[in-house]
Amino acid sequence: MPSVILRDTKLQGNISEKDSITIDGIVLGDIKAEEVIINENGSITGNISADNNIEAGGQIIGDLSSDRIHVVNSAKIRGKLSHRNLVVEEGAQLEITSSTRKKIMNNKE
Amino acid sequence: MFFKSNKKSQDQVQGFSHLGENLRFEGEIDCKGEIEIAGKVIGNVKAKKLRILETGSVKGRVLTDDVEVLGHMIGNIESVNILIGDKAIVRGDLRFENNLVVLEGADISGHVQKNKKEKIKRSDTEKVKYLEHNKIAS
Repeated sequence: MPSVILRDTKLQGNISEKDSITIDGIVLGDIKAEEVIINENGSITGNISADNNIEAGGQIIGDLSSDRIHVVNSAKIRGKLSHRNLVVEEGAQLEITSSTRKKIMNNKE
Repeated sequence: MFFKSNKKSQDQVQGFSHLGENLRFEGEIDCKGEIEIAGKVIGNVKAKKLRILETGSVKGRVLTDDVEVLGHMIGNIESVNILIGDKAIVRGDLRFENNLVVLEGADISGHVQKNKKEKIKRSDTEKVKYLEHNKIAS
């Protein structure tokens, strides 16, 4: 079962997950997972690296690295993006530098 | 999933957070609602209601209102109600205020203490009985 962190929960530290993780709460620290979904209420301070997909809808301060990054319209992001495919929806607030790579090396554990 | 963010009611959270089997987390957890841990957590956990599932393991201090341990737990637990499941392994002290339930088969080593101070006079009465018995015998 994938992990879910609701908005009444605050995590302070590094997360590594081999499955999907959905975040609606507060995370202070780095996240490493196969898929990261950050909902509207989610707030993350730290770097996110996913193998497949990042769906960013909340507040993020930090670097994102994934094959596919989908920035939803409720997102507020400050940091660097590194990706193969990038989707940005209308209305997203961004302060980013973004770079497309042909191959992303994700160092799996 | 567990949440539908159509309603923006910030105070009421439906459902509970879940840390999956393959998750590893190092650091502090502070949950104002319910949280379920099936993965590995190293660090202190503070929550209203905590459930450590059979695959879950927590190393650190736990401070909750309700706690259910069905998996591994290394560290002290301080809670109003504690439930230890039959396959649980607990290494650490248990401090509870109201209820402690330990199911048959649980593996516990550590101090168990009720936090509210209630005077238990049974040991005193036993001592008196022992002294009286000695008197009669002599």
